[in-house]
Amino acid sequence: MAEFSTSVVDKGNVSVINLSGYLDAHTAPTLENDFTELIDQNQFKIVVNFRDLAYISSAGLGVFMAYIEKIRDNKGDIKLTNMNEKVYNIFDLLGFPLLYEIFKSEDEAINKFSESDGIGTK
Amino acid sequence: MKSSALNISENIQFRLFLLSAIVLLVYKLFISVTGSLAHMLISDLLILLTVAFLFLSLIIYFEKRKASPFSLIMNIGILNAFIFFLITFSDSFMSLLFDNVNERINNPSLTSVLVTLVYLLLIVGFVTYVLVTLRHLFFLRQSKSQQVYFITMIVFFILASLTAPYLSDTKFAFICDTFLIVSVLLMVINSLRISWIAFIVKKEKIALLILSIVIAILFIVNLNNTGDETLHSQMLTSFAPSVKEFASIVMLYGAIYFSVLFFTTLFHIPTAAAFDRKAEEVSSLQYFSKLITQVLDFNELAETVTDITTRIGSADASWIIWRDDEFVPIANKNIGFIDSEKISRFILKKIKWDDINDSTFIRLTDLENKQELSQPYKVAAVSPLRSYGDVKGLLIAVRIGEQKFSDEDKSAIATFSDYASVSIENSQLLEESIEKERLEKELDVAREVQRKILPEKNPEFDQLEISSVFIPAFEVGGDYYDFFKLSDSKLGFVIADVSGKGISAAFIMAEVKGIFESLAKTYLSPKEILVRANDILKHTLDKKTFVSAAYGIIDMEKNQMKMARAGHCPVLLLRGETAQPVKPSGIGLGLSEEKQFEENLDESTIKLEENDTIVLYTDGITEAKNEYLEDFGDKYFTEILLENRKKSAEELSKKVIKEVSMFSHNHMQYDDITLVILKWKQKIKIDGEKEWQSSAPQL
Repeated sequence: MAEFSTSVVDKGNVSVINLSGYLDAHTAPTLENDFTELIDQNQFKIVVNFRDLAYISSAGLGVFMAYIEKIRDNKGDIKLTNMNEKVYNIFDLLGFPLLYEIFKSEDEAINKFSESDGIGTK
Repeated sequence: MKSSALNISENIQFRLFLLSAIVLLVYKLFISVTGSLAHMLISDLLILLTVAFLFLSLIIYFEKRKASPFSLIMNIGILNAFIFFLITFSDSFMSLLFDNVNERINNPSLTSVLVTLVYLLLIVGFVTYVLVTLRHLFFLRQSKSQQVYFITMIVFFILASLTAPYLSDTKFAFICDTFLIVSVLLMVINSLRISWIAFIVKKEKIALLILSIVIAILFIVNLNNTGDETLHSQMLTSFAPSVKEFASIVMLYGAIYFSVLFFTTLFHIPTAAAFDRKAEEVSSLQYFSKLITQVLDFNELAETVTDITTRIGSADASWIIWRDDEFVPIANKNIGFIDSEKISRFILKKIKWDDINDSTFIRLTDLENKQELSQPYKVAAVSPLRSYGDVKGLLIAVRIGEQKFSDEDKSAIATFSDYASVSIENSQLLEESIEKERLEKELDVAREVQRKILPEKNPEFDQLEISSVFIPAFEVGGDYYDFFKLSDSKLGFVIADVSGKGISAAFIMAEVKGIFESLAKTYLSPKEILVRANDILKHTLDKKTFVSAAYGIIDMEKNQMKMARAGHCPVLLLRGETAQPVKPSGIGLGLSEEKQFEENLDESTIKLEENDTIVLYTDGITEAKNEYLEDFGDKYFTEILLENRKKSAEELSKKVIKEVSMFSHNHMQYDDITLVILKWKQKIKIDGEKEWQSSAPQL
């Protein structure tokens, strides 16, 4: 099957995970490792950029569910950005837009984090 | 049987020895030695018998013991040292015991005779033991045909020692001299047969060199002491002159044998290393066959590989590193983890994984922090381990000290690493096929579970044509559908897809079936059923697992269908020339808490019309892929449905499946395919009521 890879980039106090390729049951552990590492570093503000993701299976969706609870308990969030239509439809069908904030661009998602931070500090 | 026979004969010989020794003692005790010829003859005969029986019983003892030549030589050395000390201390010891030495010899008391006898028997015993040991050394690595030389020699020993006391001072002295000369000649001839020396390793040869010269000197000293006018010599003579002769001859034989042994060993030393290597090569051939049988256990195989590498390459240590985990040495032989890791890192700086084709040698002299190594490793031999043509690992052997690996070592290691590669590749192939088989078995179980969970046949109604197709993927996909006959006019149906694959998905399917079975009987609204199902699944599924589902109820009296959708693909309603996706809002089961789930779950109610076709499916259809990884897609799916909408439910589903399999015949089916088609047949007069209208196709 096609390859899958991730890269983690720090942007301010937010970490961005860039996905590319096919995310399914076989490639999911790669993304799981990224989440585990970020959580271990107490980084709970995470944006996942789907720009280069071609396909996501149900097992791929499950990865986000595995960590969201812990991240939100720590006042963080996973925000999803740059989904192509096909990937968005898969998320949409399952009702993920009700569970996650999905943005068109990475900046919007990052800004959303800083906004809520601003509110939090006031 | 054989061993018991051996025991008896040993006993007989040993008993005979004891008997003759006692007779000898008694004879010597009570009949004082005079010059009488008859007495001397009787005494000699008794001694001969005693020695002969001891000799025979010792032979049997030695053959049973199967000692190594080295320990035999050690035995001789120790015995010689004993004899030496006995002789040396006998003078002072005996003078302490008796006031006058001369008195004792000429006019012996009972105690003095007894002590002397015991002393002499001890000497006789030691000498015999030495002779038997020498005999054993002679026969080591010899064919039996050589036996005649040794027996002849022994016969001449006896002849020489028996004739000497009687003839040496007469005109017939030449007879015993001849016997002696022949004995010496035979000793020399027999001493030259030391083929066993070739089979011991270099270290032992060096030890043997020292031992043999020491023992040869001891033999000469003892021989000298026996021949001289020492007290020891006098005592022997007074006891029986023939014994003195015999002891001297054995000492001479020993001296000759060990001198020859010394020189032979000396000449063997330069070739010892080469001989050792040849022997190692022979034994490593046996190891190669061991490699073949060890493919079942990879770790054991790796251990064997490094073990053999150190042997055949005369290396001091060896280990393996794998490309996947290049800084983790495995199967370390004679080297610690830390040292081997340091050297591995150094080697990997010098060579690239893709560049190494043959065994190469790397000097470790410029290894940084090399003083931290526990041993001064100087040079490493690095050989690639290939699998399927790629370099997958490195076999590393290192040497301490200045000596480089020789060309022979080089070729031995290179050859061996090729063999090792083949074995490792075999081992991996086997492991993969075992793993594959295990996985297949597991998936067989999963498919079996799935098959039993799905309905055996579709329910039958006059008003409703029902068809269902299920095609499992190789890795069970977790699709589930079911029908619940709620009453004569009410049918519940469900279609669901568990996230994930394989056996775990199959077991969740079973759980989901149980949940819907019980909920369908309790609740009569699709929304409520899905809300309850979510409650249960949210708390039983692990966080990353969820289930998409659509649940519907067809009421045949009211001509209507109610349905709710929890994250599942939309249900398609084919009516007239349109395909209407029925997609009420809803989150997948197990994803959200009760409240959020319920708030976002809508229920659709559809009035059914003649020939309305309800299509339930899973994403296995729309996401079926062709060789270009293109999806079958919603659009194509709908087109096929519409083109064939007039066919029966059965034919329609056959047509769809045919199209899907044609589309994706060059690509593996990754997900389960489920297609359930319900076709509404009841003709009912429409009483002008406006229901779901087909006024405009809304795709």
